[in-house]
This record gives sequence, C-alpha cells and structure tokens, in this order.
Amino acid sequence: MSALPRTGVPAPDRAAVLARVSWPDEDNKIPREIFTDPALFGVEMDAIFTGPVWVLVGHEAEIPSPGDYKTAAVGTIPVIVVRGADGAIGVLVNACAHRGTRLVEGPAGNVLRGGFRCIYHMWTYDTSGRLIAVSMPEDFPAEFRKEDYGLPRARVERWRGAIFASFSDAAPPLREYLAEMTEGLDRVLGDGRLRYLGSVKVVFHANWKLYVENIYDGYHVTALHTGFQVVRLRSHGGERLVPNYERQGHLWGRSRSTPVSQLQPALRDMSLFETRTKPTTDHNMMVVFPSGVVTDYFDTIQLRYVVPLDVERTLIEFTFFGRADDAEETLRHRIRQGPQVLGPAGAITLEDIAALNRVQSSAVARGENVVLKGTPKRFPPYRHVDEAPIRHLYQAYRRLMGFDAARPR
Amino acid sequence: MLRDRADPAVLREAALALLTRYVRVVDDPRRLEEWPELFTADGAYVVVTRENVERGLPVAIVRDDTQERIQDRLTVIREFWGAGGRAEDRHYNEAWPRHLIGPAWAEPAEDGRWRLGAHLAVYLTQPLDGSSRLLCVGCYDDVVEFSAQGPRFRAKTVILDTPVLPDIFVYPL
Repeated sequence: MSALPRTGVPAPDRAAVLARVSWPDEDNKIPREIFTDPALFGVEMDAIFTGPVWVLVGHEAEIPSPGDYKTAAVGTIPVIVVRGADGAIGVLVNACAHRGTRLVEGPAGNVLRGGFRCIYHMWTYDTSGRLIAVSMPEDFPAEFRKEDYGLPRARVERWRGAIFASFSDAAPPLREYLAEMTEGLDRVLGDGRLRYLGSVKVVFHANWKLYVENIYDGYHVTALHTGFQVVRLRSHGGERLVPNYERQGHLWGRSRSTPVSQLQPALRDMSLFETRTKPTTDHNMMVVFPSGVVTDYFDTIQLRYVVPLDVERTLIEFTFFGRADDAEETLRHRIRQGPQVLGPAGAITLEDIAALNRVQSSAVARGENVVLKGTPKRFPPYRHVDEAPIRHLYQAYRRLMGFDAARPR
Repeated sequence: MLRDRADPAVLREAALALLTRYVRVVDDPRRLEEWPELFTADGAYVVVTRENVERGLPVAIVRDDTQERIQDRLTVIREFWGAGGRAEDRHYNEAWPRHLIGPAWAEPAEDGRWRLGAHLAVYLTQPLDGSSRLLCVGCYDDVVEFSAQGPRFRAKTVILDTPVLPDIFVYPL
C-alpha cells in the first residue's frame, strides 16, 4: 500500500468539531446534529472510511477479464477497481499523481492495452498503479523518478469474490474483521462464482449513516413497507446478529418469510415475492461496516455500495448478480425480480427513500433520535423485528470517531 | 381494420396521437387507471439506463414485461405506495410529474407495426416547497400495433440518459 495523503481535517480542528456534538448519556439516543454538520462529515471520511475498516467496493464478477476495471469510491475518495493482466485485483486512487486529474470517467471499461492515461499531460499508469510513461520529461528536476509517482493503492482483500479495500494499515486481516459475518456472506455469495447482471443507482437525500442504520433496523420493515402488509408477508422467526459488535459492529439479519403460496395474491404476478433457488425462504440482510450491504432476499443476490456524497446526500448503487451456473430460466427470474422489489423503483424499497428523505429534512430540528425496540436486551442476538442493533452501529461509530464511549443505559 | 386501410399518413398521425394520450395519462395521476389500456395484451413497459444497455447488462429499473405486471404497477402505486389506496396517508407520490417531449417520430416497421420514438425530460414538482426538479432525461423507443381498437403499445422502452436517479419516481415514465 502506498501512503494515502491525509487531506482531511487536522487533529486540533477535529477535536473542536467533535466537541460541538453533545451525545446523550444513554446509548440509545442519537444527536441529530451528526446528520447535518458538514465539518463532522469531513472528520467521518477520514476517521471512518480511511480508518481501520474494510470498505466493500465490488465483486470480481463485475470485472471478470484481465484489464477490466470499474470506478467506485471509498467514502468520498474516487477509486478504480481493476483486474490486472495476471488476474490480481487492485484498488487505485482515481487521480493522477501529477496534477490530480481524474484518470477514468464513466462506470467501467478495459485497459489491457494502454493502461490508464491521463488526458492532461499524458502520464500513463499500468493496472498496478505504477507510472510507466511520462510525456516530454526533459527539464524535469534531475531527481525525478517514475517510481516515486505511482497511484496511491488501497490494501485489497476478497471474500467469496467480494472485493474489500482499506486505506489503513491498522485494519485487521479481512477474515478477522468480518468475524462470524463470513458465515452469512457464504450463504449469499456461495463459492463466489457469480454473474454480474447490472446495477441501478439512486441518490438518497439523507446522510449516509441514516441509510446504514435503516438496514440495522428491523422495526421499520412491517411498519413502513405497506406491500408486505398487502400480501401478508411476514417473518416466521429469525434474528438480528451484530457480528464483531465489540469492535466494528456489522449487521446480520436473517429470517424466514412466508412462502409465496401462502401470500395474499394481491398482485397478478407474485413472482416478485417468490423463492425458487433455495430450499427454504430463509434470507440474509447484512451490512459489512461501514458501507457494504449484502443480501439474498427471495432469489435476488444483491450488493449495495453506500457512497457518501456530502452531509445530506448519499449515492446507493444496487448491483444484481446471478450464479455462474444458473439455468437460463433462473437467470431470467432473477432479472425480473431483483430491481422490481429491491431497487429504487422497487415495490419494497421506494418507501425507504421517502422515509429517509424526511428524517434528513427534519434533522435540523436538533434534539435526539431514539432507539427503543429490543433495547431492554443489552447484547445480540436480537429479534428480527428489533431496532436495538442500531446502538451497536453508533458504538462502533463513536469509537472510531473518538467520541467518548457511551455509558450503558 | 385501421391497419388494412394502410394510409401511412393516417397511421403516423394515430401513432403520434397515442404518444400524446400516453403523456397526458401519466402526467395526471388521477387518470392512471387508463394507463394499462394503452398497451396490447402482450405489451411491455420497461425502463432502462443507457449505461446498462450499452454495457449489455440486462438489469432494468422497471421491467413490466407482461400485461399482468403493467396492471400490477397500478396496484403497487395505489395500494403499496398510497396514491389513492389504503396507504394514502403515506403520500410518497406528492410530487407532480410533467413530461416534456422533444422531437417525436413514427416509422413503419415489420408486420404492420410502427416504431415510435421521442426525446423526453421529466420534471417533478414538490408541493412542500414548490420546487420543480429534473428527474431524468432520455428517450422512448416504442413499438406500436394497430388493431380494430386503434393503436396500442406493444412495447414502450424508456431509455434513460440519466445514470443516477436524483430521486424516487412513483408514476410511469
């Protein structure tokens, strides 16, 4: 890993920014100013996203061939996720080492021939981020060496094809970081051989933490998602685990939903709610802290990348996958189901966007958001309908940010 | 049969009139029940991004590829999302849509069908603050069939240039 220059908030200013937030004594209360303070957002991008975490940036199936690349982000840092000629996967900062020009525009491509060439002064990098060519280097300082001008690289580790990046030497090995999340990821990702089907992107007018906590929250599922009430779909048992809750606090929600044969047929085409590819209707909904969402709801295999844009806007990319050995008919079913249920125009996703927009727009009212359901229990596992896991999300957040640890309620 | 008379000028005008009727229906949420009638019994309504189309990726934002799904969209809008249905108090759909159609054209295709195309931009106006925001820019790439009942969409494909949706959309594009 090449060192990533810290461009964010210097330490004394950081302390002043943190001091502006008054956390309540109870750990189930969340001060609303953390959703509206632009300076705090800057601190988060350093302390969380370039801190000792692993950020989900893609899946190998998105870049299957040598030279394939896609653009992504680690917090607000634009990166290129690329498969080299030797098959190795790298995550490079998407900015020329010379004058900072963005090297790659657009979502994806292939650079097997030519490498990443900057349009501004024609500096060219190979797929491992090494500077391999410079235009007209005459009259450069004598000490100029191309080796000194590689692109900053993130550490990269993979789990079942899912690609994680870290800009911190302090992040533990990925397997240790994921802890028992690996078991949930295995259920969704299988042996990792997936087929990429495409993505849909939408901007939530909400702080990134509101998006993430929505996944930790089991309480809203039946309350907000009217579609589940209309077809009488509910969870028949399940739990919300918080793997590694003493450190990063991931979320692993798992539950078994009503089989499609027992639902109220409110729609003419009920395949939206059908599970054909698994022996039971069990599904998993997971967050790899801080920003990677993984699920196998019904027959939909989905990764979501949470990209903070600014303090009140978050881009969510919903990516959809099949299994490499899916039959044609299975693939067709997945393509017809995924975005129709779990995309921005999905029958049970649109409401989240509407709800979070409203939480954000009233966060300026100050005061505290409160987490109640399931909180008499202090530790996971929680029930699948509980919102208590949100506490662990903010405990991890406060630890990384350097806020004082919350006193137990 | 309108098709048998086969006066291209008449058919072209009828196809373009179908487009005008479509836009008037989808821009008036109170008339949404008329929307499925604008499609044939085997019609399809699909919304895709140009990005996915050009990369050969099959994921669509909306894939109502049967008449059943087209009618289900009404149920989802009315009953799940609350535009006039049981969840009316939710009001996810308060924004008023407005399509602006640029050049529109209709050309004869095979089997008596016509291709219908148009450029479009869709704005949403929020009642809360009165602001009008651009939702998306793109084009229609449609197939129209003629029968005794007149022209209907065999396929309406909305191709969005906008790769990142700036907001949710509830009503058909």
